[in-house]
Amino acid sequence: MSEITQPSPIAVPLGAPRPLLLNWRRYVPLLLVAPLLIYMLVLYALPVLAMLLRSLNDPTWTLSHYAALFEDVVFMKTFWITFNTSITVTLGCLILGYPVALGLVRAKTMAPLILVIILLPFWTSVLVRSYAWMVLLGRHGLVNEGLIALGMIDRPIRILNTPLATQIAMIHILLPYMILPIANALRQIDPSLIRAASGLGATPFMTFRQVILPLSMSGVAAGTLLTFVLALGFYITPAMVGGPRDITLSMLIAQQVDQLNWAYAATLSAVLLATALAILAAARHLPGVGNAFKTSMR
Amino acid sequence: MSKFTFGRRTALGVVTAGLAAPFIRPSFAQAAWPEQTSIPDILKGSGEVRIAGYGGSMQEAQTKGYYESFERLSGIKVRPFPDANGPKVKAMVETGNVEWDLAQLSRGSIMNLQKRGDYFEKIDYSIVDDGVGKEYRFEYGLEMLLWAQVLAYRTDAFKGAVPTGWADFWDTKKFPGDRAMFGTGGGGWPEMEIALMAAGVPADKLYPIDVDKALASYNKIKKDVVKWWETGAVPIQLLTDREVTMTTVWNGRMAALQAAGVPAAISWNQGLLKRDAWGIPKGAKNKVNAMKFVAYSTMAIPQARVALAIPYGSVNTKSDEYIPAARQEVLPSAPAIKKQLVNYNYDWWIDNREAVIPKFNKWLLS
Repeated sequence: MSEITQPSPIAVPLGAPRPLLLNWRRYVPLLLVAPLLIYMLVLYALPVLAMLLRSLNDPTWTLSHYAALFEDVVFMKTFWITFNTSITVTLGCLILGYPVALGLVRAKTMAPLILVIILLPFWTSVLVRSYAWMVLLGRHGLVNEGLIALGMIDRPIRILNTPLATQIAMIHILLPYMILPIANALRQIDPSLIRAASGLGATPFMTFRQVILPLSMSGVAAGTLLTFVLALGFYITPAMVGGPRDITLSMLIAQQVDQLNWAYAATLSAVLLATALAILAAARHLPGVGNAFKTSMR
Repeated sequence: MSKFTFGRRTALGVVTAGLAAPFIRPSFAQAAWPEQTSIPDILKGSGEVRIAGYGGSMQEAQTKGYYESFERLSGIKVRPFPDANGPKVKAMVETGNVEWDLAQLSRGSIMNLQKRGDYFEKIDYSIVDDGVGKEYRFEYGLEMLLWAQVLAYRTDAFKGAVPTGWADFWDTKKFPGDRAMFGTGGGGWPEMEIALMAAGVPADKLYPIDVDKALASYNKIKKDVVKWWETGAVPIQLLTDREVTMTTVWNGRMAALQAAGVPAAISWNQGLLKRDAWGIPKGAKNKVNAMKFVAYSTMAIPQARVALAIPYGSVNTKSDEYIPAARQEVLPSAPAIKKQLVNYNYDWWIDNREAVIPKFNKWLLS
């Protein structure tokens, strides 16, 4: 955010304008974002804050809701499940997404088609996709029937209603968030660098290892962070295709809201939010990653 | 993140709408429906009443069942909303921004809220029809729809054997295959009564529930339960896809499944008889109209019409004369079926839910 609200050098005209005019122009970017800023503040930030306050002042000012979490076995397990799922899903997205991003950037005529294929799931609701996975991963679904037809298994295996099903469905949903930032970073690599590398005798693999990969790290970082933080908040997918013990933090929050334990729900939400923010903050200080924020802003 | 967090009721509504569409409507031929032709003057009025229900096929049934005729007979306009739920009423009343005049909830959710503060108007029983049983009346709400949480099974799974109670549900030797049960993920109520009946506790000795005994019984089925579902569409999907051979379901969902030709059936015996209830949020702008609608919608004919539109039962004993025998076979309110069901005790749950759910969660994750 701060990147945008800072006076941008573009807004300052060349030459030496009058101070008054300069001042006026300085505030143009701020004025441009003001409607969104006010909108977010009033309709988003304030309600979130009011909700989070419930974890501290319900019924009186107290830290007891947070203290109780340390002895809360259900919270501990749920938090671990959520965290663990997010890490697995993020890694899955990275492994599957990087080659696709590379292909997308290399492809010339096919690029628009690949982009459409990547974005297609974006336009379908998470709920519909979860149902689709139920049909595909079921014991009599396409995946099992296919594996049997290929002779890889004798009888259907259980994929649906396991943590694996959650991971598969979440990876599918989150892949675009990984691919697009990486593709963006790859596209900004100066092609002459690659030509130079091969001109100096580097094999394609060495070029990738020593030129492309390091230069795309900002995209990898942005994609990883985005995917991970989004994965932390999943609710519908694990609820629908996950295993009997796949309770995520979001599900626990929904449960507690329904049971009118709003202070507890607010405490859980605060922990989830703090986790996401802590990861973002920590990642910013990793070498090379700070750039990811700037890159992804543009 | 908010893009992916998705309310349980929202999901329910979307799923209901989505699932209902391709199936044959589980309603009774409309020509045979009774028609309400007049109402007492005291139920007439003007303006509007904003009613929160669940959307989807339930709202369709209510529109045909009593929304349309109420508008015509009373002169009060009905504005239906989907997504009724207790926590929303709490938020509305607390912020003084009450957007509904009436909400379809349950005795459990109404009284759960009411014990924390003053969230509902009292019901004016002077205008409620005599046919509405005493057992459905309480100070802050009126039960208006009977439904059942019952055992459903694949008829092609057990070589002709028919499960007739929860002991059979627990018996995976005689009735092989995976199971699904109602979980607590999105704010559900664990089926403790069912676990107790499986362990041999008679239906009239269920309450007060012995939670430890119920969990001990649950232990025996735990490894076979592949899904703790939280929206009514999921067990239906699991049965259709042969993912489970037996599950608990909301009875109304089964009609659509059977109409679609899936070989599945309900075993009513030992099912839980549950009720939805009207509640008027405190400070509702049109609370007088809401009260009139509550009275109208629980009259014999409007109740019968809903039961003909969707397989849920009437709370008005006089409705039975308007419901053909063929239809009674699928209604939890039909005398022959109702006597097999166990009355769900919301009062016990109101007092104990807060303590039971964490225990259940802990058991589930252990």
